[in-house]
Amino acid sequence: MKRFGERRAVDRVDVCLDEGECLAVLGPNGAGKSTLLRMLATLLRPDAGELSVCGRRLPDEAVRARALIGYLGHDPMVYLDLTARQNLELYADLYGVPDARERVDDALDRVGLLARSFDLVRTFSRGMAQRLGLARVLLHEPRLLLLDEPYAGLDAAGAHLLDAVLADASRARGVVIVTHEVERGVALAGRLLVLRAGRAVLSEPTGPIDGAAFRTRYEELVA
Amino acid sequence: MVLFAILAMLIFQFAFGSRLGDLTPFAGGILWATLALTAVLGVGRSWVPEREQRVLDGILTAPVPRLVLLVSKAGAIYAYLLAVEIVAVPLLTLFFVRGQAPVDVALVAVVCLLANVGIAILGSLLACLALFARARELLLPVLFLPSMLPVVIAAAGATHAVLGGTNDLAEYRGYCLFLAVYAVIFGLVAYATYDHVFDD
Repeated sequence: MKRFGERRAVDRVDVCLDEGECLAVLGPNGAGKSTLLRMLATLLRPDAGELSVCGRRLPDEAVRARALIGYLGHDPMVYLDLTARQNLELYADLYGVPDARERVDDALDRVGLLARSFDLVRTFSRGMAQRLGLARVLLHEPRLLLLDEPYAGLDAAGAHLLDAVLADASRARGVVIVTHEVERGVALAGRLLVLRAGRAVLSEPTGPIDGAAFRTRYEELVA
Repeated sequence: MVLFAILAMLIFQFAFGSRLGDLTPFAGGILWATLALTAVLGVGRSWVPEREQRVLDGILTAPVPRLVLLVSKAGAIYAYLLAVEIVAVPLLTLFFVRGQAPVDVALVAVVCLLANVGIAILGSLLACLALFARARELLLPVLFLPSMLPVVIAAAGATHAVLGGTNDLAEYRGYCLFLAVYAVIFGLVAYATYDHVFDD
């Protein structure tokens, strides 16, 4: 549970994610999706309840849990006055990534930014910066990827790239993705969590359901 | 920031210089008033890149203990103060002090090295505290300046003891001891509270 003043932003949400599973968190604005993700990312302390990431209890083992998490929020979280390469090298240092030089090259190549690796991020478009943010979270090969509206600002090619990266990544690690795009969430995830006013109104495996058909149910759930 | 320190000293020079013949007795106060105001600017800007470029969450989710973040910011503030002092102390001796010996300037350098520790620790702690606060531009100087006052008084006293013409080394040592104790106390306060200052 997480409370901001009198308001309970997240309350009685019970969810467990297995390795290799992708969870899509859906819900209207103010439902508590980002708050839940920020608690998992160790940025917010829960006021009550239990939270653990890969067996590390939060917040007591937060530092060890952080090494296993890759968090991408609304912003790419990279310095605008550094080059793409310098940013990734900085994060490689922070995460203690071995063979940093090769891993930085791989990550940049993976998101299609190798040719722009020596350019300042200030000169990047929003979509390019978001791709760099994706490279940043994949750099240390986290066991849990936390993505908050990762498609925001991406063009069609960028979104396609993110789909491919997520499909590849979710085989080896857990992914929690917060999105407003119901159809995309259903297509990507193996499990759905729908929040309304901080509470879970649906938590179940997606199964063989159609995204467009689920939208009608989703709208009833959050109405 | 160095420019700010130079301008502040020039203002002191124009404000007092033409009216008072010898400013040597005031040199310590002028130096530390200038450095205190410059420190407020530097501490206020210590988290600006992370905040303005929205990198803070990226840094806070890295597997780095909060204490390391606090110490690294304190180190940056210390280095920044040192850079300002490298310019400010020679300017002080040029504008405001008459007949100083090189050894006196060396003793002032020791005061700077000691005072910077306390200012950097306190500044880093308060900058982290103000990180998530509203009206942080107002909050930080309001908290920082009064808390820094003991350092300013002791550092100005120690500087005056060696540059003011009295060369009172006993007084100088007393003030230096006070600066060291202040640094230790705020170091302990920072150690006891660092985990909570980054809380939401």
